[in-house]
Amino acid sequence: MISYTKEGAKKNALVFILFIAPAFILFTLFVVTPVFQGAYYSLFNWKGAGPLDKEKFLGLDNFIKLFHDKYFLTAISNNIKIVIYSLCFQLPVAFIFALLIGRKSFTGSILFRSLYFFPYVLTEIIGGVIWKFIYNPQFGLLTQFSKFFTDAKNEIALLGNPDTAFGAIFLVIFWKYIGFHMILYIAGLQGVPRELEDAAVIDGANGMQVIWNVILPSMRNVITISVFLSVIGSFNVFDIVWAMGQGGPVHSTETLVTYLYNFGYKRFAFGYGSAVAIVIFFVCLVFNLLYQKFIVGDKDK
Amino acid sequence: MAEVRLKDIVKVYDGGVKAVDNVNIDIKDEEFVVLVGPSGCGKSTTLRMVAGLEDITDGELTIDGKRMNEEAPKDRDIAMVFQNYALYPHMSVRDNMAFGLKIRKYAKEEIESRVAEAAGILEIEELLDRKPKALSGGQRQRVAVGRAIVRKPKVFLFDEPLSNLDAKLRVQMRTEISALHTRLQATMIYVTHDQVEAMTMGDKIVVMKGGVIQQIGSPLSLYNEPINQFVASFIGSPAMNTVSAKVREEGGKIIVDEGGFVITAPADKEEGLRPYIGKDVLMGIRPEDVTVDANATQAAYIKGTIEVVEPLGDETILYISTADHQIVCKVEPTAMVKVGDELTLTPNVDKIKFFDIETEKSIFYRG
Repeated sequence: MISYTKEGAKKNALVFILFIAPAFILFTLFVVTPVFQGAYYSLFNWKGAGPLDKEKFLGLDNFIKLFHDKYFLTAISNNIKIVIYSLCFQLPVAFIFALLIGRKSFTGSILFRSLYFFPYVLTEIIGGVIWKFIYNPQFGLLTQFSKFFTDAKNEIALLGNPDTAFGAIFLVIFWKYIGFHMILYIAGLQGVPRELEDAAVIDGANGMQVIWNVILPSMRNVITISVFLSVIGSFNVFDIVWAMGQGGPVHSTETLVTYLYNFGYKRFAFGYGSAVAIVIFFVCLVFNLLYQKFIVGDKDK
Repeated sequence: MAEVRLKDIVKVYDGGVKAVDNVNIDIKDEEFVVLVGPSGCGKSTTLRMVAGLEDITDGELTIDGKRMNEEAPKDRDIAMVFQNYALYPHMSVRDNMAFGLKIRKYAKEEIESRVAEAAGILEIEELLDRKPKALSGGQRQRVAVGRAIVRKPKVFLFDEPLSNLDAKLRVQMRTEISALHTRLQATMIYVTHDQVEAMTMGDKIVVMKGGVIQQIGSPLSLYNEPINQFVASFIGSPAMNTVSAKVREEGGKIIVDEGGFVITAPADKEEGLRPYIGKDVLMGIRPEDVTVDANATQAAYIKGTIEVVEPLGDETILYISTADHQIVCKVEPTAMVKVGDELTLTPNVDKIKFFDIETEKSIFYRG
């Protein structure tokens, strides 16, 4: 197919174009164009119909309004909380699970791996619905348990209380994605040569020192990817929150994307919604660029 | 400054596989002991038990008289060099060598001076700030050795350290490790599957097979007095020829008859071979104990056709097919031979070994 002679060069160009074209066209059509469209819409007070004329032009007012809206600030802070909780709790626990069940195969190790990985296979909506049942104040598992094991007669309504709803939802996110990161870490662990650990043990390192000095640095690539996916994922959380309370009660569990849906799409405020989308886009873009430059690119140093 | 003693050491893995069976080795202070054998013979497992990387199922390991079975690897005062170097990929050469000392909380100046000293011995000073991936295989192995010597351990353990190097480098590192042993005067235990490494490096060689020690001895004693057919063919290159032959008596002499050729047993072996009259024995002839001789006497000669000629320069290896067997022999490079030649060879009868065909034990072994 590919010719390396001078005469073949023209033919090569055609081959390259034909191969690149489908991805290029689709990406432009469905990713690049909407970003620019969104950026454009975000400058207007637009309800989704009618022309985008001068009277509707707002400049950056949508953005200014956005950052003065307390629910938007709740949403951003919730997203940041999800990022922090994920990095501080979910990923370390996933790593511990991987250490426990991913290194030696023992009776039941496959069962454990499957059990932890199973939530990831479920659709987010299904996961959310399952947990909505568990949290249900009347017949939910949690209430039933507390009634069975204690004298308490009260119903437990975690999702109905603005103080507890976010925590309850984060627990579901934790449950849903921990298996995914665990599997990544198991794969990473299997790439750490046994000899390295042996060498460290002979050098006098104890278990924690082996993990800290040998295993973690050797898994740098896997951890880089896991952290990246976790952060990007945290900014895009929608389905679970939606299934469990649509950002309520009283917008206490709003995330950026549910906020977009509630305040943009649902109210036909497409200009405003686009402004939210642009903010999300920039958050992810900036994170991505910084991460690539300072973390991923640092690999060889 | 360490004596290592393995007493009745047994290793049984979880699945019930017995990897090492009743191993007894006494290693003297400053001795260089080589464990050698084919893969799966238990030599690496034995070494890992000495290191503390594997539990000892049964028996006792002592270093300087102190029982070590339950001690953690870090408390055994040993250092180990691994087959794949096992350098920490994210650390510089300097940090790799310093790691064990840092963990043991040595003072900074002490660490620096020890690393500098080891780097000097191994001539890797200019590599100290590089990462392992920027090193060649030989340099990596040097660093791995350096990491062991900075610790100044009682015992050095080597687990097939040269098997990933190319042939030329392997020969060079072999002499360097031997020189290091002389210089450090430390006890060293070295595992290899390469009998040449074993012969050239070891003060004492332990030949293992199937988890069992076959023979322990100096290189030359193993070569000259192998206890059984396995040791005889494992030590020496090309391997000793072993052919089955019938023993009979003829005119008061004991004759060993291969079918294609006959050997008249030397007088001192007659008594030992007498019980085998009418039976088969295994006859072992080293390739180097055969000479091409057109005037071979009737007492002992081998007749055959040359199938392959391997001229190595300093010597020529011939693969000769006799009536029932193939015999390898080493001859002078000046021998004018070519494939297809009929050849008469004279074996050095005094050096021929005889093995019981059932037990494969050497009939004339004098331990």
